[in-house]
Amino acid sequence: MSTETGSDGVKRRDFLKVLGVTGAAGAMVGCSSERVEKLIPYLVNPDHTVAGVSNYYATTCRECAAACGVIAEVRDGRAIKLEGNPEHPLSRGALCAKGQSALQGLYNPDRYRGPMVRENGVLVATTWDKALELLGQKLGEVRSAGTAGRAAFVNQAESGSFPALLDQWLAAHGMPQHVAYDADANLGTLEANRQAYGTPWPALDFGAARLIVSIGADFLDDWGAVVPNQLAWAEARGKLEDAPRFVYIGARRSLTGLNADEWIAARPGSELAIARALQGAGVTIAEAAEAAGVPAAQLQALATELNATRPSLVVAGTRGPDATDVALAAAAINQAAGNVGVTVKPAEAVASYDRVASYSDIRALSTRMAAGEVPIVFVRGANPVFTTPPALGFAAAMEKVPFKVSFSSFPDETAELCDLILPDSHALESWGDAQPLRGTLALQQPSMEPVFNTRPTADVLFSVARANQATAGGFPQPSYRDWLIARNGGPRAFAELLASGVASGTVLEGTAPARAAAVESPAAAQQGDGDFHLFVYPSPLLGTGAGGNKPWLQELADPVTKISWQSWVEIHPNAATRLGIRNGDHLTVTTPAGRITAPAFVYLGIQPDTVAVALGRGHTAYGRYAKGIGVNPLSLLGSVEDARSGALALSGSRASVTRTGDHSQVVTTEGSARQHGRGIAQAITASELRTIPVPVQRVTSADATPAEGVLPPGEGDGHDIPGMPNTAFLPGLRSPVAADAQGEYAYPNSAATGMYDPEHWSGMAKRRWAMTVDLARCTGCSACVVACYAENNIPTVGAPWQGRATSPGVWDETPGANIIKGREMTWLRLERYFEGGEDGSSDFETRFVPMLCQHCGNAPCEPVCPVYATYHSPDGLNVQVYNRCVGTRYCSNNCPYKVRYFNWFGYGEPDRRQYAFPEPLNWQLNPDVTVRGKGVMEKCTFCVQRVREAEHRARAEGRDVRPDEFTTACAQGCPSRAITFGDAADASWSVAQLAVDRRAYHVFEELNTFTAVVYLKKVNHPSPATPAQA
Amino acid sequence: MTRRRKWAAIPGLALIAVTATVLSAYSGAQAGGAGQVAPAPQATAAPAAPRDTVALRQARDTMAASGPWAYSAASTPQGRAPQQPIDFPHPQHVQSLQMNCLYCHSTANKSPDPGMPAVNTCMGCHTIIGAGLPEIQKLQKYYADSTPIPWVRVHKVPDYVQFPHMAHVNADVQCQTCHGDVQKMPRVFQYSSLNMGWCVNCHVENKVRYDCSTCHY
Repeated sequence: MSTETGSDGVKRRDFLKVLGVTGAAGAMVGCSSERVEKLIPYLVNPDHTVAGVSNYYATTCRECAAACGVIAEVRDGRAIKLEGNPEHPLSRGALCAKGQSALQGLYNPDRYRGPMVRENGVLVATTWDKALELLGQKLGEVRSAGTAGRAAFVNQAESGSFPALLDQWLAAHGMPQHVAYDADANLGTLEANRQAYGTPWPALDFGAARLIVSIGADFLDDWGAVVPNQLAWAEARGKLEDAPRFVYIGARRSLTGLNADEWIAARPGSELAIARALQGAGVTIAEAAEAAGVPAAQLQALATELNATRPSLVVAGTRGPDATDVALAAAAINQAAGNVGVTVKPAEAVASYDRVASYSDIRALSTRMAAGEVPIVFVRGANPVFTTPPALGFAAAMEKVPFKVSFSSFPDETAELCDLILPDSHALESWGDAQPLRGTLALQQPSMEPVFNTRPTADVLFSVARANQATAGGFPQPSYRDWLIARNGGPRAFAELLASGVASGTVLEGTAPARAAAVESPAAAQQGDGDFHLFVYPSPLLGTGAGGNKPWLQELADPVTKISWQSWVEIHPNAATRLGIRNGDHLTVTTPAGRITAPAFVYLGIQPDTVAVALGRGHTAYGRYAKGIGVNPLSLLGSVEDARSGALALSGSRASVTRTGDHSQVVTTEGSARQHGRGIAQAITASELRTIPVPVQRVTSADATPAEGVLPPGEGDGHDIPGMPNTAFLPGLRSPVAADAQGEYAYPNSAATGMYDPEHWSGMAKRRWAMTVDLARCTGCSACVVACYAENNIPTVGAPWQGRATSPGVWDETPGANIIKGREMTWLRLERYFEGGEDGSSDFETRFVPMLCQHCGNAPCEPVCPVYATYHSPDGLNVQVYNRCVGTRYCSNNCPYKVRYFNWFGYGEPDRRQYAFPEPLNWQLNPDVTVRGKGVMEKCTFCVQRVREAEHRARAEGRDVRPDEFTTACAQGCPSRAITFGDAADASWSVAQLAVDRRAYHVFEELNTFTAVVYLKKVNHPSPATPAQA
Repeated sequence: MTRRRKWAAIPGLALIAVTATVLSAYSGAQAGGAGQVAPAPQATAAPAAPRDTVALRQARDTMAASGPWAYSAASTPQGRAPQQPIDFPHPQHVQSLQMNCLYCHSTANKSPDPGMPAVNTCMGCHTIIGAGLPEIQKLQKYYADSTPIPWVRVHKVPDYVQFPHMAHVNADVQCQTCHGDVQKMPRVFQYSSLNMGWCVNCHVENKVRYDCSTCHY
């Protein structure tokens, strides 16, 4: 700064001039929203399609064997949301978390793009023509060598015509029937049901029972068809004070166990003794209690209650080496108590499990392959390499097969070993049918064109068969679709059938092949002698691993432990104290078969002598979201079978547990498992509930004011004095602030209430959108959470590449790194609280609370926003305006419910490392909802896009929105029917009635937030023998 | 820093700021047009000026509701008239042939998206009519090649704005209210500013709800 003229010739003033002009140019460019964007029209407009408006196709969910009905919402040629089909007799409009996330299988970025063939040891892309030619050639070779009879086809267990058709195709090529493999199936129960009731899966009527006893049958997790189970269960619990009491017997409180009123914490392996004791067949209560490690009095009380209560329902679904015997004992109790035909209905059988093969079939196949007997093996929709214990050696056995064909759509562990990949189209891209109940036909139709160059396996079978003179005769139609049309009465009848998706009818029936004999488990030798019983169980979300490649399911916190993106070892608090183990300490679990290392999770709901590990993680392939996440506890298991059913025994061995000395934070979405007296999740006992009279409805259509049921502010709402807590304010939820945010209370001298006045010309304040959540029905299954992810474009944030930079260029690649920091984005989360059991006793209660933005009438977040990015809309929504938000996070800090979520990274921006929707996952994004960018706060909107859509539709049709015309995504999918959404200011909506229920309460009512979410207290049914605990 | 220089710097900076604002505003008003419309009738006029430059400018001058200062057009490309792959004459179709807007933009009354006509909609007439004209031959080539026409988007609201066309059309808002007299436009340009103030004014005047969550969600 010496002179005006710098020695180097550039004057300061010149520099400023240049800077100024550059700035102006920057302003011109920067402020212009002129970006060349194209409008691409159709070449030929498709029929029945309006650009920008959704079409809905009724089809069938194929994520598990149950075959629920779904309706696929398709916008501009892309499926964007799955919802339950209300006309489907099995699922009745509900859909579980797995079903919701079928879309992420469809749009999985790691799907095979097209057929692949192994050349020089590497899988390379090929064409369908070449791939099918190769397949035809290999089939010919096998046939001419005379070894076709030793070929094997492993197909997923599914209902419908396809299995029988597949058998026809195999027979035409001289090959034996296929193996219908379902790693998740509860084979012990299936076998016992066949023997006791004559059908693999009788319908269960939970509502008809007065007492339900489950011996390890996790009917809300994975035991049978979960959605119909849950519908029936919620209906039963919806009877409130008349609902059945539920006792759970098992080594671990699963999600089902947590829903029980009482838990008998039996050691693994003692279930049979308990069942026999309850049955009164050769085992005394004292002996059973001794074996189980539970007080004899507790067991005696249950036996007495079971004898005294009619009708009851006893279900069993253990996974030990005696699973069938346990289930048979349970069936015997049902038969003796006269429950068959009352609570167990063999006549209304679920048909999905008719021909499920057993683990012993896979073991037999593995043995044959290892011996080099199998010339060619096909695998479709199953992943036996991952879902069988390494002790079986399936992968090594497969290497001995000269030619291996996979129809997998994903690069899973089994497909990676194959020589030819003929990727199957996703269920949402292909035709099919299913038989959910006997006598019911459900159709599966493609909702969109295939995302990749895949082909439905059925069509591949048709083309292969028709390419050869010898086999063409059995396949007269050119494709599976034509075959289905011919079978279902021609094109016209078929089109009518497609409209609803379900009808009475039948599918092509096949005969199940003879099952391989199970081997007697070598027992003691393989069981080991560790200090702990080992309890391995399928994850309710990931199953035995099939869900692992879907980020929604990886991110969704486990309903029981609230852990995501990792495996964990569950250990009882008392055992943990004894061994000095804290949450997150790395434990090595060792059995004779192998060892795994995972962080500890100290869990009250596990039997003290037991450690539990969930299946589903630990993939070594299967795409970016699955590979390298967690561990697979199958490596701890020997190939031990239940001798009667041929099921793999998941429990029954012993393990030793040692600390490695490492520690890492558990990837959990939970802050505390205790309520600390906050009254977030409230409950009432059935006997207390009986003393509360059902109130007279205060708002009825009869005394409605001219404004259609809307009470004028200050009248009848109990809120004449603002700031005073008042429990009588439920009707209409018209909090003083919602009714008056800019009116008299805000400006004491003003008479104008602005647009918040119900009489305001805009009509904006006519409604008060609200929600009720019935905790007596809610099971904590978390289907609502996934529905919310799907509907609202919520990013997943836990993948290893989504972490932060710890220093420039160095990234935190811990799976779930963001979640450890509390940065998950679940607009709707399921909180799980324990009551009691502080001393480690099994006598504790669990309460689940779906926690979402409460849309407070007097919202703490609103006044602290410096830029008015969050405000209260006149119709009762707490609105977050993304384009106003500057990311101060004051709102989140001031929110007592902690339901606001901040975009710490550019999860919605494709050029960011943390982008959550890699192509084509972004095809699923809902066009009605803004994808949020970095630095923006977001939260539950009460599905405002659905509100607006309904309002627009009503307006176009010249009417008002009809009561209960639409609902939010979470309420739509809920398999418990616990969530109700609607207009609380209009008495003709269901929610207005439920909001004044005698069980209604608001969370943190004392904060005067006047929430629009009303919870209905859980109803507990304590044991008649013990004092009430609520 | 000497006193003299300080006094020189402050008005200098102020001048730069004012210039930037004016330039920005002017460019906003002229954006899009500037590249294609010759600025002055010089001998070395910009090449490839459209044949209806004068008509285009006149139409824009008379129809644009606002100058550079209304609703801060600085931030929108109001008045932009991009060159389209086919020089589609709206006046010929709407004025001379009396075609309804909804004939081609057929979903404007039933979808958030007004809809662009499928190529075979054009071909419904132009297989025969005007088959020899150069612009029609472009159309026919697109159709023969099974390629959709890559129209350049003129009107766009940001991604965080939900604008349902059907709600407006069904409320008897004329297309021209927002899009201008497209029937008189030789080439379509952005008629309105599409700024939020412009939206809200209309909502208030027409007594419809105007809180944020009406459009932002």
